[in-house]
Amino acid sequence: MNVEYINPFIASTINALSVMAAVNPVLGKPYLREDNTIRSDISGSIGIAGEVVGSVALNFPESLAMKITGNMLDDVVNEVNDYVRDTVGEIANMVAGGAKKTLLEKGFHLQIALPIVISGHNLNTMYPRDFPCVVVPFTIDGENFFLEIALDFPAK
Amino acid sequence: MKIIVIDDSMTTRRIIKNTLNQLGFEDIVEAENGLDALTKMDGIQLILTDWNMPEMDGLTFVKTVKSSVAYKNIPIIMITTEAGKDDIIEAIKSGVSNYIVKPFTKAILEEKVKAIISN
Ligand SMILES: [Mg+2]
Repeated sequence: MNVEYINPFIASTINALSVMAAVNPVLGKPYLREDNTIRSDISGSIGIAGEVVGSVALNFPESLAMKITGNMLDDVVNEVNDYVRDTVGEIANMVAGGAKKTLLEKGFHLQIALPIVISGHNLNTMYPRDFPCVVVPFTIDGENFFLEIALDFPAK
Repeated sequence: MKIIVIDDSMTTRRIIKNTLNQLGFEDIVEAENGLDALTKMDGIQLILTDWNMPEMDGLTFVKTVKSSVAYKNIPIIMITTEAGKDDIIEAIKSGVSNYIVKPFTKAILEEKVKAIISN
């Protein structure tokens, strides 16, 4: 997968979290996912269809998802409740929507589906095995979260 | 002024509601999607709606409202992740008065709401 296609998702992740939750995600080094070692507590994913097919997911540890939700609601959040799960889905929606706009400007027409959120403890995150999956690690105040992009772009 | 906030995200609804409360608006109705909103339109004077929602999406909701004799003059602000030029044009053509792209700041929301109110 071309970095030209990854960058819009990285940019929209940083934009969504900084604008909505006043946090500063620090970008790590992206890599190709080759095994099942990505673990997270709350995962929000968005299906993508059209000229580009696959999915994009955001995977957070509980503590970080609670912090982001608390910042967005201007409230103290100390349990993984419906608001926390909803927030992870809505941030994933904003990440996919922001990247969609940039990809549209590059000539790729695509549609984004409604978010699907899965929560638990130390989950093995899901991704479509048919396509290469790029993992983008980020850090907020010393805690890691992961953006996963598993997309099939047409040859252009 | 009675305002309806339509979004499938409860977090986004609460953010919008908080901002409206801070602007002095207390009479706020919430709906999870367009279909839900159609049952809660009585007395509504301003609509804030998302686009991507289950059951009935925001664009379909806008078209439904604009074709209704009772509700067609209610101003509509769309707040959505859909940021493509063609999407925005389609929404405006369908009757949306103002458009906010997610992620959004409270300042932008305040500005757009005030602009509608002063008209
Ligand atoms: Mg939505």
